[in-house]
Amino acid sequence: MTDERDPVRERLEAFVGKPMGETATAPDPVNIPMIRHWVAAFDDRNPVYLDEDVAAKSGFDAIVAPPAMLQAWTMPTPKIEGIAERGGAPTEMQFENPVNVLDEEGYVGTLATNSELDFYRYLHPGDLLELDIVVDEISPKKKTSLATGYFVTWITTYRVGDEVVGRQLFRIFKFDPATMGGAA
Amino acid sequence: MNATNVKVGDELPTFGLELTSTMIVAGAIASRDFMPVHHDAAYARSQGAPDMFMNILTTNGYISRYVTDWAGPKSRVKRIAIRLGVPAVPGKTLRFDGEVTKAEIEGDELVIDVAVRAANDLGDHATGTVTLTLPASDS
Repeated sequence: MTDERDPVRERLEAFVGKPMGETATAPDPVNIPMIRHWVAAFDDRNPVYLDEDVAAKSGFDAIVAPPAMLQAWTMPTPKIEGIAERGGAPTEMQFENPVNVLDEEGYVGTLATNSELDFYRYLHPGDLLELDIVVDEISPKKKTSLATGYFVTWITTYRVGDEVVGRQLFRIFKFDPATMGGAA
Repeated sequence: MNATNVKVGDELPTFGLELTSTMIVAGAIASRDFMPVHHDAAYARSQGAPDMFMNILTTNGYISRYVTDWAGPKSRVKRIAIRLGVPAVPGKTLRFDGEVTKAEIEGDELVIDVAVRAANDLGDHATGTVTLTLPASDS
């Protein structure tokens, strides 16, 4: 890397440490129909997700949701029409964010590289999740074996009321498709 | 699984998921991820992917299932940290394996780290660590 000024990186700097959008609330509280749907989709036979007796014998106060559903509860209700044209975004993103900036600058390729989920407690039917997202880190411009671009990391904090129940670190690589395969 | 018979170096039984389009779509919709690359093969190909491919929530869901199938209903998953690699696509078996890399009593729990990998014949789809607990004494 050189010490040359990078106007793209300078545009991105403004987002680091800042919230990405407003606090969001799950469309529905944790509920048994969605748990049943998930359990069937994954053929997950762990009985604590649907059988109250086993949940109680396993030390839970009530049925618990599969922990990996954490993010699913808060996925926004999608607008299906036009979703492909929006690149898969469930809704129009109204706020300025580093991903939009990178798209504008030609770094339209997206590759997810890391997901780190922490579960502080299991969720029960009735729990209503809220989340806040903060931009944790944006790398300098990097040339990887795939292409040239920027790593963007954000951290989502999930709460029920004032209680933090989970957290996710998520990192993506936003790259310029024209630089794929070692091109300049 | 009982805390007394978990030790570092234990290997989890390998699990081969014969991945179909239906499984990918089922996981995507159960996780409420409607991105077309996870249900529309033609769209995915137009984006340079070989086929529709598994979304990350589904990868995490299967990893959680893989570990709790082994650890049982008394286990608690605390953390799933993965690095993502090649796509998981229909027609390619996704093979899960895992090995216990930590097993330490902390208070009344046994804290276990499992190094997990989900791979197909393209390479590693996801590699990482799942942290879970079991009651230290199961009485």
